Amino acid sequence: MRPVLMVAGDLDELLELRAFIDLVGASDAKALIPENLLNDGRLSTLGLSRVYSIEALDEAPAEALSTTVAELVRRDGPGIVVAPSKKIFREVFARAAQNLSAPCVTDCVGISLVDDRLVVDRPFLGGGYIERLAVRRLPVLLTVQMQGRRPSARKEEGFEAVRLGRLSVEEGTLRRVSVERSARGGSELGKARVVVSVGRGFKRREDLKLAEELAQLLEAELACSRPIASDLGWMPEEKHVGLSGKWISPQLYIALGISGQVQHMVGVRNSRVIVAVNNDASAPIHKEADYSIPLDLYKFVPALIQVLRERRSRAG
Amino acid sequence: MTVIHVFVKQVPDISTLEYDQSSLAPRLEKATQRLGEIDLVALEAAVRIKESLGGEVVVLSAGSGVSELVLREALAMGADKCFYVSDERLSRADSWVTANVLSRLSRRVGSPDLLLCGEASSDEGNYQLGPRLSEALAIPCVTHAVKVELDGNVARVRRALEDRVETLESALPLIVTASLELATPRLPSLLMIRAASRKPLTRIELSELGLSEELVKPLLERVSARILKTTRRNIVLQGEPRECAEKLVESLASEGVIRA
Ligand SMILES: Cc1cc2nc3c(=O)[nH]c(=O)nc-3n(C[C@H](O)[C@H](O)[C@H](O)COP(=O)(O)OP(=O)(O)OC[C@H]3O[C@@H](n4cnc5c(N)ncnc54)[C@H](O)[C@@H]3O)c2cc1C
Repeated sequence: MRPVLMVAGDLDELLELRAFIDLVGASDAKALIPENLLNDGRLSTLGLSRVYSIEALDEAPAEALSTTVAELVRRDGPGIVVAPSKKIFREVFARAAQNLSAPCVTDCVGISLVDDRLVVDRPFLGGGYIERLAVRRLPVLLTVQMQGRRPSARKEEGFEAVRLGRLSVEEGTLRRVSVERSARGGSELGKARVVVSVGRGFKRREDLKLAEELAQLLEAELACSRPIASDLGWMPEEKHVGLSGKWISPQLYIALGISGQVQHMVGVRNSRVIVAVNNDASAPIHKEADYSIPLDLYKFVPALIQVLRERRSRAG
Repeated sequence: MTVIHVFVKQVPDISTLEYDQSSLAPRLEKATQRLGEIDLVALEAAVRIKESLGGEVVVLSAGSGVSELVLREALAMGADKCFYVSDERLSRADSWVTANVLSRLSRRVGSPDLLLCGEASSDEGNYQLGPRLSEALAIPCVTHAVKVELDGNVARVRRALEDRVETLESALPLIVTASLELATPRLPSLLMIRAASRKPLTRIELSELGLSEELVKPLLERVSARILKTTRRNIVLQGEPRECAEKLVESLASEGVIRA
């Protein structure tokens, strides 16, 4: 068991990090979080000895935040430092690791002790494989793939709060000229029982209405492949599933016009039932589906909506 | 003259990669080699900057068993020259070692205005090279770029994070990591492929970089790798849309994954 530092942007993330670390245990746990979370009652149930806070942590520049993380590591000497696998934290940890001559592993999905050696599991080769890495030197900085883990209950405990204020941005480095908030909306995906997901098989943005209608009937959340969000901007960035996006495990995943590349499938592999609608019978997604429908989605989805409506009106 | 260093990695081609049926491990030793997908995006962005502003695109690579044939692909896409390190000791390189080697290599072959690499490699997908180079070279870095513009000595970069899009400015030199969406890599024409065979490709020995033992010793070790397999039923629903829809709804309702 080793001392641990957890870096998180919100309470959900912190809870998940705690659950991840509990897989190997921690002799002492400290956290670094945004100032506005300090009043959250749940903090005292996470077994923390000390909580550092920074104003507007999620907007702090990576360079400044990595300097702070490296300083805290030097000061407190944690063996393991963890943060959620988000773009900003991967960058902060890679920087801090180089600064500390330390290893850093991104997108960890598992952690364990094998013969007293710390090992971590992570996606490899686009997500089609899992690799196991042994850590040869501590401290190690890990970013953790968020998958909805929750820690078991602990008794309430006090902790020392240390406010670090706002991070100053040094002169002469990068200047942020503008920030546009993107549409949000990925937070419900992890909990959804049914997910309807759209890919480039959709020709126009307006056509997504079809998927929305289906999702409504099934009380499902909408998700998408990476190009729909990042290339086309038809859906929020946070809605894309896969290697670089969300990892989800609904009871039912309906993929409409998605080819099923490994980078996509790794994010939905744990779904209980997968339905694929793709008019190319040789698309890889058909091999990864429980029900495969080799039809044009523009013909099939309206029919599916129709059938669901008729059943509902008969039942209701 | 604008000098751009582009970092590329030789990786196994995932689309044709096979695995061992009993150990489930990838057969990396038998894999076809290619350049990383996002590396090509970074290279394309560099070549476009050169085409509009002039300058020079230099490709840098490090690994073990690096093939000149694979690197020629980068030259065919419009890079002017290439320097690489190929050493058996790098076969187990982690992000720490790779960043130490590539930062030294970059310094050794010139003083670039812009340093470009992919946000992540196609095989390891670590997302670490750009930020680590930034620390090693003391040059600022913008990750996940979806747009890069140079104006004199200033770079303006748009980056997409999960919850926001930021525009940042910096004086050169600057490190930029390319998002998959930054550019669409061109397919080199036959003419460009022929021209590439005459462009300089220079191998540099690891020992020439003067790295201490500490800096080339990996801090992580891969102990195993296995393919992820999920057994699915692969039931194909045939027929008219309406017929298929009915069959699907029946099945899903009886499995209890949708409301009957
Ligand atoms: C490092 C890296 C990370 C990545 N991370 C992710 C990730 O996290 N998530 C992700 O999704 N991708 C990711 N990708 C991209 C991934 O490789 C694929 O390019 C992407 O998933 C393809 O999206 P798509 O299936 O929507 O589009 P396409 O591959 O273009 O597939 C569209 C499909 O729609 C079908 N189609 C067309 N018309 C119709 C119709 N009328 N009816 C029915 N079907 C139709 C076609 O047959 C085709 O199979 C990543 C790639 C890299 C290199």
